Amino acid sequence: MRAVKVEHMLSTDIITHVGLNHYLVLSALLFVTGMAGVLIRRNVIVLMMSIELMLNAVNISFVAFSKYLDKLDGQVLVFFVMTIAAAEAAVGLAIAVSIFKRYKEVNIRFFEHLKG
Amino acid sequence: MTADSFLFWLLAAVTLVSGLSVVLVSNPIYSALCLAMSMVGISALFATLGAYFIAGVQMIVYAGAVLVLFVMVLMLFDLKTELATFSRGKISGLIKIATVGTLAGFLAGAFSMSIEFMEKPATKTVVAEAGVDMSRNLGTLLFTKYILGFEALGILLLVIAIGVVGLARSKGGTHAKH
Amino acid sequence: MGSDAFEITVNCIKLVLVFLLMVQAVPILVWLERRGSGFIQNRFGPNRVGPLGLMQLLADAVKFLTKEEFSPKAATKLLFYAAPVFALIPGTLGFAAIPLGSPLKWGDYTFAIQGYDIGVGIVFILGVSSLAAYTILMAGWGSGNKYALMGALRASAQTISYELALGLSIVGIIMMYGTFNLSEMIAAQQGTMHFQAFGNTIATSWLPNWGIFYQPLAAVLFFAATFAESNRLPFDLAEGEAELVAGFHTEYGGFKMLLFFIGEYGHMMVASGLMATFFLGGYNIPYTTTEQVYQFFLGFVESANAASALTSLAHFIMFTVKLGIFLWIFIWVRWTLPRFRYDQLMDLGWKTMLPWALANTILSALVIFAVSHSW
Repeated sequence: MRAVKVEHMLSTDIITHVGLNHYLVLSALLFVTGMAGVLIRRNVIVLMMSIELMLNAVNISFVAFSKYLDKLDGQVLVFFVMTIAAAEAAVGLAIAVSIFKRYKEVNIRFFEHLKG
Repeated sequence: MTADSFLFWLLAAVTLVSGLSVVLVSNPIYSALCLAMSMVGISALFATLGAYFIAGVQMIVYAGAVLVLFVMVLMLFDLKTELATFSRGKISGLIKIATVGTLAGFLAGAFSMSIEFMEKPATKTVVAEAGVDMSRNLGTLLFTKYILGFEALGILLLVIAIGVVGLARSKGGTHAKH
Repeated sequence: MGSDAFEITVNCIKLVLVFLLMVQAVPILVWLERRGSGFIQNRFGPNRVGPLGLMQLLADAVKFLTKEEFSPKAATKLLFYAAPVFALIPGTLGFAAIPLGSPLKWGDYTFAIQGYDIGVGIVFILGVSSLAAYTILMAGWGSGNKYALMGALRASAQTISYELALGLSIVGIIMMYGTFNLSEMIAAQQGTMHFQAFGNTIATSWLPNWGIFYQPLAAVLFFAATFAESNRLPFDLAEGEAELVAGFHTEYGGFKMLLFFIGEYGHMMVASGLMATFFLGGYNIPYTTTEQVYQFFLGFVESANAASALTSLAHFIMFTVKLGIFLWIFIWVRWTLPRFRYDQLMDLGWKTMLPWALANTILSALVIFAVSHSW
């Protein structure tokens, strides 16, 4: 079985036949890109944008599964995720504007300590 | 290479490059505009997967409203200097990137190895045809099977709207009562 | 795109033609605006260059093209140059999705007289027209000018606020016709008025079967919201001359300014096209169905191909007439109503139009439910 697997991985079918695998790997790459953004960026707004990127990566995998399993439930869940993400972005931005108004700074290294 | 696969690779490349630019570019406004490009790419990917209605909604909600809000807030802040774009410390940064890369590898490997064990269900609930049929089925599903989630979402949105107005009118907010 | 080479080439040529149609309509619109506004204000418009002043636009175009190309010192070059190009995108993509004539049957092929036929037509058009906010923001930020930025922020806040009223006022029409597809909506507005109510068919012969008779409130709300979307008076505080110099396009001159105007007129054309499609029956000639027109032309010419071509042509001319009516109303309102103040504008969008649009949606849903059962 291992020999068949290696052969399958080396054929050019991967490029010409786009299957569920491709969409899932793309979703995973986008997700980890967003996660890297959350971990290494310091601007609060860019942090929230990276979170949006992560949520969209999850949306891609939902829709890909919905197509390949022929069920519409994936798309309904995408609805929910999209709505909640948009609402969360709105609240996050409201909080960020309040923070900027008070501290004139949106670099999170000033807010790392739970004080004041 | 067929047109479908070429389209997928092109859109995947655009989306990934834009996604990486969101994280790597130092000017936050360029970052937001790259995220908008990424959203458009994701919407096109939804269209290649046959989810036309979701693609349209993605454009309207994300690329047309949420990201415009992000860009507007960034322009209001008008930050002249970025004190530190990336987190301090090269070693901790490297550890973070390595962790993230390992996670990516795990995910990709797990998907590739387990796809063949997944079975398609016996009953099909969707006819993947013209956009209108699917939208009708989507609406029916949303209002019958997921009605609880739908109503809960409505209440959640109401609470969020009231909460944001309350936040703006609170003591430190932009519309505080003096 | 098509199954064989002939169909693919015709479809590609059609896409290019629709784009050119939108771009070439802009000089005519500008002429109409300048002469029309002149007559409304009891003065002559430009009438020296060419007959009736029609060549004025050609002269203006040459003037714009030969102007010095500059950018302000504080500008962000990339955004400053990218914004006018981006202005063309929403209008072009939106206009290509509107059906301009009845489908042309030539032999075995059926060509839709539009750029592309989309199953979820109206959702797509709303999606791409919401990209217009980015043009404004990029132009305002890229100019490096405080006042341009203020104008840009105001204009984009106005745009995203009125998108809500725009989308909600359409939901009544979508519920009534049961489809997102624009061609199907137009096909449902053929002939004279007839509808099912309580199990009986009610038909009158003295009214065409247009959407405006079924949803008058939605028509008014939609039309007003499109004024706000394309930043036309009375909603153009963001580019009002007396307040903010020229708003977000203060620092633009020459050809880049022309591109902004093409974008604004493109938006107007999409708005007029959508009004005609939803509420005035699209390309249908009033009181007739497509089949009747086809039979009429079949009486004159022998081949089915030529009759189909003549039918499409007649419908296209009818659509252009309806488009022209709404474009003239855009221009007419510009020189009639005074401008709204910004807080009045936002109040109108959120506190007046949004509740009315919601009420219209609920009422339409109740009426559709009530009449679909024979009590």
